[in-house]
Amino acid sequence: MFALYRKLIAASIRSQMQYKINFVTSAATTGMIMVLDFIILSAILYRFHDVVGWNIYEVGMLYGISSASVSLYRLFAPEINDFEKYIVQGELDQLLIRPVSPLLLLLTRNLDLSRVGGLVQGVSVLVISLSGLAVEGKSIMGLVLFSPVAILSGGVIYFSIGLATAGVAFWTHQMKDMLTFTIYAPANASNYPIGLYPNWLKWLFFSAIPIAYMNYLPMLTLLGKGGEWFYPLLTPIAAAVAFYFARMLWNVGIRHYHSTGS
Amino acid sequence: MVYWRIIRKSYRRNLQYRLSHVINNVASSIFGLVFIAIWTGVLSGKQVYGPYDVKTMGYYIAICQSVLWMTTFISPGLNVQIAVRSGAVSLDMIKPVHYLWYMLSQEFGRLLYNACYRSVPIGLLLGLVVGFFFPSDPFTYFSFILSLLLGTYVGMLLFYLTGISSFWTTEIRWVHLILLSLIFGLGGQMIPIDLMPGMIGKVAPYLPFSAMIYYPVMTLLELAPPYAMLVQAGWALVLTAVALLVTNMARRKLEIQGG
Repeated sequence: MFALYRKLIAASIRSQMQYKINFVTSAATTGMIMVLDFIILSAILYRFHDVVGWNIYEVGMLYGISSASVSLYRLFAPEINDFEKYIVQGELDQLLIRPVSPLLLLLTRNLDLSRVGGLVQGVSVLVISLSGLAVEGKSIMGLVLFSPVAILSGGVIYFSIGLATAGVAFWTHQMKDMLTFTIYAPANASNYPIGLYPNWLKWLFFSAIPIAYMNYLPMLTLLGKGGEWFYPLLTPIAAAVAFYFARMLWNVGIRHYHSTGS
Repeated sequence: MVYWRIIRKSYRRNLQYRLSHVINNVASSIFGLVFIAIWTGVLSGKQVYGPYDVKTMGYYIAICQSVLWMTTFISPGLNVQIAVRSGAVSLDMIKPVHYLWYMLSQEFGRLLYNACYRSVPIGLLLGLVVGFFFPSDPFTYFSFILSLLLGTYVGMLLFYLTGISSFWTTEIRWVHLILLSLIFGLGGQMIPIDLMPGMIGKVAPYLPFSAMIYYPVMTLLELAPPYAMLVQAGWALVLTAVALLVTNMARRKLEIQGG
């Protein structure tokens, strides 16, 4: 299955690389837009020094991981994020008649290469934050080693949330409005310490929309903010569990699917 | 009047989505809740200079989230680019109404709908969290509405200019995204722009983006500087002139292509 994925994805990349200038400008714009976003956060923390005891570099760790993770998801799974059209316009029918799993087909149909810009921005914020922490005299070895794990796990978590939302769309026939609730708002929230939020939101971010495991929880331990030693281990576990449940929901949805007949 | 009829028609066309929008307001409010929580975290237990204590910041964010649905969440390019691509624009341009005012009226109808089914519910929801702010001076309500309308007008013109640029380019997607991030970055949606550091804080109050978010909110909070509405009106005039000029250029371009 992996060989097949590689073959299909290579074809997708090849077709998009016909427009190299488009790729470069779109990735650069995406990155720039996200940089502006981070500047606002820096402006706030520059003025007020910290948010509930997290300084700019510590928030930068949260921000960089979240930013890179969500970009990773948007890079590899644009068709999942845009799944509504498959159900509403009946495009899914075409995928169902092929001998390959529809999920694999969706994942190889398209790559949103402009999201590379967001990935670069997220990693840059991480590098800046890590060097800032190093100057402050913190030991950053653990953070450096853990960051790739966090980004990958975060990508899987966002992907699982997206997949679950798409799975629900089999019944609701709409998904765009729902993504505000399941992806966009949580992605925004995860740029900051989850401890800030009202209890019901906190609860949500630790359960149904499990973004807290991606950066907040492990960073409590790794930044010495009073986390337990095993918190970083929960990050990949949460990603695996989220993926398992999302996959299940998706499969139930596919079996439930009735074509619109168009 | 014909433009008023276009506005009403566009308002009514949107009504069929109202149920899903009312539900979606809850999701949109989460953005507001997150910003409010961040500011509470930032400000709590600190010496605050100026008017921005926790309570005022709560009002500020709540009103922002509500104002955004009128002045900022405007259709990308006012959908001009879609008509350009399909060729429908040539029919719109020969209508006996001026193209610019026709497009603006259509969008304004949609924004009036937004005001009723997005701004008001979101304002009420967030108000339940941070409390409600009622200015005591009746004149404030009047100047708020004026400022809000000016902000909406400036916003619509900026989006219109984005859309009409499609006469010369094929894609407006990136121009639109850059415009949006400038509005979000420099308009004051997350941070009152007078709190921004250095040059940005000095320049931002005079850019059109602050006219869309920052000044309407500050006007309602009775914190706006006296020149606020001058900046808004100034940009309204300048952008109207530019939009009229560009519309004429676009019309000529259309004639050359033969529609």
